[in-house]
Amino acid sequence: MAQDDKPLLLMIKFQNLTKIYNTQAGKIIALSNVNLEIAKGELISVVGKSGAGKSTLVKIFTREEKPTKGGILFNDVNICALKGKKLQEMRRKIGVIHQDYKLLADKNVRENLCYVMQVVGVCDSTIDKDVQKVLEIVGIENRICHFPHELSGGEKQRLAIARALIHRPEIIIADEPTGNLDVYNSYEVISLFKKINEMGTTILLLTHDKEVVDSLKKRVITLDQGKVIGDDKKGRFIL
Amino acid sequence: MLTIFKRILKFGFLGFWRNKSLSLQVIFIMGVVVFSITSIFLFEQVGNFLIDQSEQKVDISVYFKKDATEEAMLNLKQDLIVFTDQVKSVDYISKKEANEIFIEKHKDDKFYLEALSQVQEEPFLASLNIKAFSPGQYAFIDEFLQSKESENIIEKVSYSKNKQVIDQLFYITSNVKRAGLVGGIGIALLVILITFNTIKLTILSLRDEITTSRLVGASNWFIRGPFLVQSILYAVASVIIFDVIFVGFIIFLNAKMQTLFLDFNLVTVLKSNGLYLILAQLVCTILLGSISSFLASRRYLKM
Repeated sequence: MAQDDKPLLLMIKFQNLTKIYNTQAGKIIALSNVNLEIAKGELISVVGKSGAGKSTLVKIFTREEKPTKGGILFNDVNICALKGKKLQEMRRKIGVIHQDYKLLADKNVRENLCYVMQVVGVCDSTIDKDVQKVLEIVGIENRICHFPHELSGGEKQRLAIARALIHRPEIIIADEPTGNLDVYNSYEVISLFKKINEMGTTILLLTHDKEVVDSLKKRVITLDQGKVIGDDKKGRFIL
Repeated sequence: MLTIFKRILKFGFLGFWRNKSLSLQVIFIMGVVVFSITSIFLFEQVGNFLIDQSEQKVDISVYFKKDATEEAMLNLKQDLIVFTDQVKSVDYISKKEANEIFIEKHKDDKFYLEALSQVQEEPFLASLNIKAFSPGQYAFIDEFLQSKESENIIEKVSYSKNKQVIDQLFYITSNVKRAGLVGGIGIALLVILITFNTIKLTILSLRDEITTSRLVGASNWFIRGPFLVQSILYAVASVIIFDVIFVGFIIFLNAKMQTLFLDFNLVTVLKSNGLYLILAQLVCTILLGSISSFLASRRYLKM
């Protein structure tokens, strides 16, 4: 269980992380010398307006993008230098909930969850047990045979959370998990994150929703124009 | 390893089955590939048949003088048989046999038979009927026969009279074969391009799926494998569908083709070569689909 007063192991270190996009309109600095440390078991909100650099942070972490300068140490390994099989293994240790869900459209709910386990060669009997358990945790066990296009926004979000959770990742990164949800679903999703964090999983929650941040009362990192302008352990939203 | 392989097969089949409209489009395009292969095969078969038929009608006849001995004529035949690379067959027709052939040919024509009975001495000369393997070889045979003129047994050789026809036939058959090859290569390249682009567009439409699969840590082959399986399924389906339709057409068209192409029996040709044709269709479409799928998916796997 993650508690602020207990000494925590360092898990992730962002070192001078910079990302510059070269566009036809000129250079865009998405991240500028970001230096952060995240301990194992923390639940951190990363807040900022649209365009602050939150999603870029996720993309670099998952290696969808490469940084212009700097790097990220994940369990003392520089993930920006990883290639091939090592990169695949790293990705299996993190669970990502994307803003646009990124569900597999031609697979139903069960198959979307199974896929993550099948990728690493887990046997079918283990997969069946874990899928059932995770669906019950997120509360969509009655939609097991439905395809993503048949689910509501809230259900898609739950499925995305379930997929991020099922392979027991060391860290879950959630990019605007309540962005497309109503108040009731948002509350349920945040409660789910609290429960997952209590089980020991590190969570990085990227959001611009003040109410979500305030309800968590956990560490808040504030980004603005690609820079870290605040790191508040008392959970204050300063934007 | 076996588990992952089974899963790749399953995902490939599910992808093929669940994206029915996409699958049908690709199957249709691959049907064009099958059609091209079959057309090249048919062109070759019909072409070879017509060429063979034409070549069979061409030969050289050597007519011997009346006083030539049978021994001398048969010696010449033996001399010709030695040229195994050029001479396909040499038939000796004696005067008596030539007479019998004439009577048989004109047995229903009283005018010719009456004219023959009026002639007091045998009008027909003994001859050698020489067939070469190809029209281009008659010139060599003619040269050899000219070298034998000193033996003074040859009355005439029919080559000089038919030379123009033979040369033209040789020119046409060579060019038909060459045109067939060039045309075949041209069609093949065009079809390869069309198929590659179709599969590339198919994979493009699934690029989000590929990206998501990469982000959850799937290996390149775990992502690429199902696309390869789908390509194989497209290929097999297109061959089956095309061949079913094709066989129906052949049964319907065979009679007409025999009339048009000098008794060319396509059903007989397919019975003896059908297996090779199907094998060629499968190999070409599977190779084409697999390579296209491999190259097209490479782009999205670089992330």
